[in-house]
Amino acid sequence: MTDTNLAVLELEPKPPRGQDQTWLRELEHEVESHPGPNHLLLCRLATTPFSKRDYLTFGLQHHALVGFFTRYMELLLLRAPSSAEKLWLAKVLVNEYGEGSDGLDHTTLYRDFLREAGSRDGMEDRAELCPAVWGFVLEHLRICREEPFLVGLGALGPGHEWSIPRMFSHIIPGLRRAGFSEQGILYFTLHTEQDVDHGDWMTEVLAEMVETEDQQAQVRRGALLSLEARHRFFSGVEREIVAWRQPVSRSSEPSPGTLVDLRRVIASTRGAAS
Amino acid sequence: MKILLVQPAPYENGRIGLETALWMSEPAALTALAAMVEGEHEVRIVDMRVEPADVLPRVLAEYRPHVLGVTAMTTDAYQAQAVALCAKSILGDAVFTILGGHHPTLMPGDHDQPYIDAVCIGEGEETFQEVVAHLAAGRARDEMAGIAGLRIRVGQEVRTTPARSQARELDSFPAPARHLVAHYAHEYFFAAANGIASIQTSRGCAFDCNFCAIWEFYERKVRFLSARAIVDRMEAATERFIMFLDDNFLTHRQRLEELVDEIERRGVRKYWMIQGRTDFIVKNADLMQRLRDAGLMMVLSGYESNEDDTLAALQKDNSKANNLEAAHILRELGILSMGIFMVHPDWEERQFDQLYETINQMRITMPMVVIHMPLPGTQAWREHGDELLTRDARFFDLLHAVTPTRLTRRRFYEKYAEWNGATMKSTRGSLTPAFLLKRPALMLRLALGYRKLEKKSKKLRRAIGDPENFLRDEYEIVGRDLETPTPAELVA
Repeated sequence: MTDTNLAVLELEPKPPRGQDQTWLRELEHEVESHPGPNHLLLCRLATTPFSKRDYLTFGLQHHALVGFFTRYMELLLLRAPSSAEKLWLAKVLVNEYGEGSDGLDHTTLYRDFLREAGSRDGMEDRAELCPAVWGFVLEHLRICREEPFLVGLGALGPGHEWSIPRMFSHIIPGLRRAGFSEQGILYFTLHTEQDVDHGDWMTEVLAEMVETEDQQAQVRRGALLSLEARHRFFSGVEREIVAWRQPVSRSSEPSPGTLVDLRRVIASTRGAAS
Repeated sequence: MKILLVQPAPYENGRIGLETALWMSEPAALTALAAMVEGEHEVRIVDMRVEPADVLPRVLAEYRPHVLGVTAMTTDAYQAQAVALCAKSILGDAVFTILGGHHPTLMPGDHDQPYIDAVCIGEGEETFQEVVAHLAAGRARDEMAGIAGLRIRVGQEVRTTPARSQARELDSFPAPARHLVAHYAHEYFFAAANGIASIQTSRGCAFDCNFCAIWEFYERKVRFLSARAIVDRMEAATERFIMFLDDNFLTHRQRLEELVDEIERRGVRKYWMIQGRTDFIVKNADLMQRLRDAGLMMVLSGYESNEDDTLAALQKDNSKANNLEAAHILRELGILSMGIFMVHPDWEERQFDQLYETINQMRITMPMVVIHMPLPGTQAWREHGDELLTRDARFFDLLHAVTPTRLTRRRFYEKYAEWNGATMKSTRGSLTPAFLLKRPALMLRLALGYRKLEKKSKKLRRAIGDPENFLRDEYEIVGRDLETPTPAELVA
């Protein structure tokens, strides 16, 4: 799949339909100023000399999200109402599988980062995940399965592709300060470039297919659901970073389990649904 | 113009520290700034120590301030920078970001960042007022050279303007805009005293201890608020408890006598807490009794050491005998005592034990043991800065050894972490039935807040009583194998 010639999937640039695109600009502004991609933890990563060990704690939680993004997209792809949306989703999906990353999929890139942070022997599968990580993944699976298609598109498009370059631009200086190699942080640097493209493609798709106020509201709802989950996620990760050094500060809310447990729960849900 | 003033969270959000368990005052520096500009501009204050993390970006996005002011001590310097970065990230150059306070004043270069437009050096009120007026007049940001006390970023360049004079009479400043933090009032506390107001009645300190930067910040000058103005503010506060924030309240006997006269004349009945030196207490025991009768309930003192030699080395200009006598006087008067003591990185085990034993003999109500360190801006910093193992601002919290230890790091922290348990005898020896009965009404009132205090301090005790917490903090930061003997040990 990663070697596929994508020329056939190129979206032809189309002129806007002439409708007022103010809502898109407003949504973009709303995403940019939302507490999710502007979480104080992200700003602190940029300003504070966190250690590689701190980033390991961060990464062991964040890693769980990385492997699921393609799953969200696959679910949404199945429900895309027309070829334009299918094309956009397929194009991004192929990128996520590793196209443009020397064939390395994003999970592999992330594991490189974790190894440089000190992860050993499958630590990423055994790490206890905080409830907000489970919450983030399950919420996005729910959105992509149960909500109207445009809500899902809002979550994965504006909710992810517009916000990730902003989030990672805060994380990258901190990673460099902590001494990570450029190869080790490729997952992050790649996303600041790739997701700008994905975001632009998304803007084109939204301008093309969203025509009514109701449709706009669905896209916005998806974006905000995703960003709120993102905010809860970063708050959870922040608590984990504090708690590894000062365990007594850990909240009484127990971990629902590891990444392996999460995959098992998702697989069983899928089985039950089918 | 719309102005947002932010008190950052200490160290990091969610971490258990002194501010979450023992003492949190209102952001008095920010209410003082707000009072200077509030008449002409809209001002809001956000206290991130008590707000959830999402409040700041939400307020920034909704309120869209033109000016963001952030205050910072050393330990929250990175947090303050993160606040400024968050504002720039959301609002871009539509917001002017300015940092001020202790750390930015003493280490302004630490804040040369693209997301910080200016650093306010020294006392902030007049500088901030002039900056706001400049911006409100629509004048260019790179034309602030005429405003004293600034370090400003102009493009890629950083410029420092002439120093701001610190001569203005304190009575001539407007009273702090405390109403802007009224919605947080129930969050501010000291130990079992919940709902405290904070008032600063003087600035500066006449002593020149080499581990403290207060006298350097205020250029060796001390200025006082008049007794009338102090009591005006005491009366205006709705809170029953007041913390006087002065770094050394117990100085200038005549002013304190005038204050007591004014409190008595106006019949103000509040309980109040202060910071003051033990030598003053010993020399003015009669005045201490008058202060108690006027409402003084607790004195926080820097006892620092149980050895005269160490006190001399710290340029404390005080003695162990004064420390012992002051603790006795306070106990006899029914005034609660809080004492700060320092352990030193070059200590051997027996020195920790000797200190804990001395504290127990003193019978101080709330002893607190911290680690001696060269704090930024102090004489000790200038003399011992090259011995630092880290310059990570978070670890200048008096709870970490930022210089090499004679013991292994592990053993050092094991001995240090003993302090809370090892000095319980001091607290128990202080809070005897005879002591409690000296001021039954006060003790009853404090008893109401005791359950809350106990809940908070239980976690704090677990945090500071576990040496592993300190060692995990040092992981990679100090950058050494914690089990490796120190150079001093190898020589031994």
